[in-house]
Amino acid sequence: MKNDKARLEALAQFVIGEAKRMGATDSDVSIGTWSSVDTTVRLGEVEKLETAAQGRSLSLRVFVGQVVTSASTSDFTRRNLTKLVRGTIALAKAAQPDEYAGLPDKEDLASLVADLDLTDTSISKLSVADKIAMAKSCEDAARAFDERVTNSQGASFSDSLGLTVYANSRGFVGSYSGSRCSLSCSVIAQQGDSMQTDGWSSSNRKLALIGTPESIGNEAARRVLRRLGAVRGKSQEVPVVFDPVMAAQLLGQFAGVAAGGAIYRRTSFLVDKLGEQVACPELTVIDDALIPGGLGSRPFSGEGLAGRQRTIVDNGKLASYFLDSYSARKLGTRPNGGGQSNLYIKPGTKTPEEIIASVKNGLYLTHVSGPGFNGVTGDYSRGASGIWIENGELAHPVQEITIAGNVLDMLKSIEAIGNDLEFRSSVASPTLKIGSMMIAGKQ
Amino acid sequence: MKAVETPSQFLSRTFGLTSAQLERVLGIATGSRDRGAFADIYFQVGTTEGLVFDQGILKNPSRSEVSGAGIRVVIGDKTGYSYTDHVNVRNLTTAARNAATIALHSQVVDPIQVGPQRQQHNLYPLEGILIGLPLPEKVDLLTRIDRECRKYDPRIKNVTVSLAVQDETVVIVTSLGDLILDRRPLIRLSVSCLAEEGSRRETGSSSGGGRLDFAFFLEDDRWKKHALKAAQEAIGLLSAVPAPAGEMTVVLGNGWPGVLIHEAVGHGLEGDFNRKGTSAFSKMIGEKVASDLCTIVDDGTVPGRRGSLNIDDEGVPTGNTVLIEKGVLKGYLQDRTNGSLMRHGSTGNGRRESYRHVPMPRMTNTYLAGGQSTPEEIIRSVKRGLYAVTFGGGQVDITNGDYTFSATSAILIEDGKLTTPVKGATLIGNGPKSLHHVSMVGNDMALDEGTGTCGKRGQSVPVGVGMPTIRIDNVTVGGTSR
Repeated sequence: MKNDKARLEALAQFVIGEAKRMGATDSDVSIGTWSSVDTTVRLGEVEKLETAAQGRSLSLRVFVGQVVTSASTSDFTRRNLTKLVRGTIALAKAAQPDEYAGLPDKEDLASLVADLDLTDTSISKLSVADKIAMAKSCEDAARAFDERVTNSQGASFSDSLGLTVYANSRGFVGSYSGSRCSLSCSVIAQQGDSMQTDGWSSSNRKLALIGTPESIGNEAARRVLRRLGAVRGKSQEVPVVFDPVMAAQLLGQFAGVAAGGAIYRRTSFLVDKLGEQVACPELTVIDDALIPGGLGSRPFSGEGLAGRQRTIVDNGKLASYFLDSYSARKLGTRPNGGGQSNLYIKPGTKTPEEIIASVKNGLYLTHVSGPGFNGVTGDYSRGASGIWIENGELAHPVQEITIAGNVLDMLKSIEAIGNDLEFRSSVASPTLKIGSMMIAGKQ
Repeated sequence: MKAVETPSQFLSRTFGLTSAQLERVLGIATGSRDRGAFADIYFQVGTTEGLVFDQGILKNPSRSEVSGAGIRVVIGDKTGYSYTDHVNVRNLTTAARNAATIALHSQVVDPIQVGPQRQQHNLYPLEGILIGLPLPEKVDLLTRIDRECRKYDPRIKNVTVSLAVQDETVVIVTSLGDLILDRRPLIRLSVSCLAEEGSRRETGSSSGGGRLDFAFFLEDDRWKKHALKAAQEAIGLLSAVPAPAGEMTVVLGNGWPGVLIHEAVGHGLEGDFNRKGTSAFSKMIGEKVASDLCTIVDDGTVPGRRGSLNIDDEGVPTGNTVLIEKGVLKGYLQDRTNGSLMRHGSTGNGRRESYRHVPMPRMTNTYLAGGQSTPEEIIRSVKRGLYAVTFGGGQVDITNGDYTFSATSAILIEDGKLTTPVKGATLIGNGPKSLHHVSMVGNDMALDEGTGTCGKRGQSVPVGVGMPTIRIDNVTVGGTSR
């Protein structure tokens, strides 16, 4: 890995040198390399083994005055890279000058590459047999959990180790490595006419932190069993409790609308809303690129901007957008580290059980389906399934319904934020209770 | 010219590989043949050129190169896979050794069946250079689209137009002796308009393309239709009211609303889910799953279409597969592995995103065949309902059969007439049940404009959908108004 670092940093600088030689006024290069292994077991037997010799990709951006062009390739031979640079510069003839184009200003670049503890070397010591054994135990646990678990879509252990390099013509060069492993399991349960699927997975940069295969298998089984016997819900307006996975998905959609590109194009319902109330006063959203070992952590962004912690929503008020150098210039402000990294909602004080107990008649949302979200207006309409709440208790599963509202109204009507924040991916949220949404289903 | 090159010449010119070297690599992959192992190598070389016109200027033209090979070993229902981004004999040999380790976990099995003995099609016969030239013409077209949209209405405040031109060649070599080359062009034009009035903002979009030359957009002023459609949708939405919530009759327009068919039945009929018994359609061949008016096919052989292929990504020529005939379930979509295991053979539907991915059964162009009614009589027949023509996309839960597809805008039908425009809403139904409610099928069957991308297990592939105007009763519409 150390050798790779030096070799790839030199390669990036070679490309920058070629760009300069051929007339570029500025340029930058990102290189990613990775190796990954994916083992899948189904019904107790190995189904698929995927091993990558070495994946890699290089992307290049060239500035000729205020004109920008870009290219990417996986062919790292110097002859090809020289050709690529020549072709990329030639493309500049097709483009028009953009007064906002340019590399980031020096003071926004990472000045040192922070060690964020992103790599676990113990993963590479695992044999393929060890990985198969973990996937097997995981699936075995799910299938043994209950006799209604009748079939399986398999369990997988996958891992990858990657290296990211970034360099630009203003003298920045940096690199960092990162690992990731995940164990997942998806099973089928049957009871009478009802057949359902569900699963569970765990991902982490550290092998020791993904949890036991049995606990993941058991959770997959619990989740599929609670969907059995689902009926259609009725059309009505009720409170909806988003489980942590659903709440994180909603947060991710909200963050997409806060991206600088959507703001300067005015294709976001958050345009002109900085400093305004966009959510209930208890809601605070943080994006933190520097969490040690975080799945979304990075010492610098794809254009070398220093990783940092940002408050996106501060007690219900919109505090900042996600700004890279281009969108910041377009909006007449300074960049703040680029796109999202580790994004989360600050936990509240209520347990998920207390939140469910506060609902007399409503939906506990566990699955959504379809693309029904409009970031320009905030209109939200999605297929849904989950568990119906009656008198504060999870009563019976429901499916084939839709939930609809407007995200701005939904966030303002949040009535409870759970204490159950857990970083299962780079976007995380505790349980959220939305005051009221429209359900469509049976008459 | 590349078009007349043989597969061997292509591999020799591009990677310096000889036939003897390929033989040796395949030999390492299959190991001892008496286990019944099947192996293939998928070579992929291509370039995509991207142009974006945004906020009044042509920004950031880009070019991305793809080059690599994936090696697969199949023994019964077990697959070993590896790939390399840097094709040479040494890396291919390593990949073959990696893929062959699946044999350690396998019993001896029946060998994979040879595919159907069809001829490779010639559905997109393009020659010469597709990338790069004529760049000024492309730039000019994007500029004209921007102008056309803004001209439509002063409330159009921004236009984003993008054009992608792809020229890709794949070569597939198999242990059954196949050695096939397919050059696959793919173009896509996409227009998005932002309309603004007071504090209200809306967007509209339109896109299209296929396995065609860029000149396609200039013929018949096709580019102008996309410009107008995007601008009209954005302006129309400025006055749209919230969509209704609940069960109602829905009329779907022709073309892209066929995404309904893709989600409601297409995925559920893919061979892998049915072999494993995880689909809501498993073991339902011969059963009535839709109204008599419904005949649904998957056809990979329509010339120039986005979802069409001369050969699938396992080297099998694509076909025309009847999935549902007059409401009765007839068939599944198969790749080599699942087709062999189900004793059914491949239908030419083995597809993959790239050389970094294992193929699986996927759709090509999936559509509902035309019927008797005119679109006007279908709309006229509805007392109160929704007419939906523009859609974002959809999703399905294969196992319980619930599917969604999301309209980006719609119009209310009152007493047989189109009245008020309404905002987008998600429609939901259940695959094996909802098509029983198809009560009228139009005579205006059309495939979509060539814009769809389908995702399955993290792999995206270009697909087509199609449908005539249809009427479905009792559809659940996910609006916000009672």
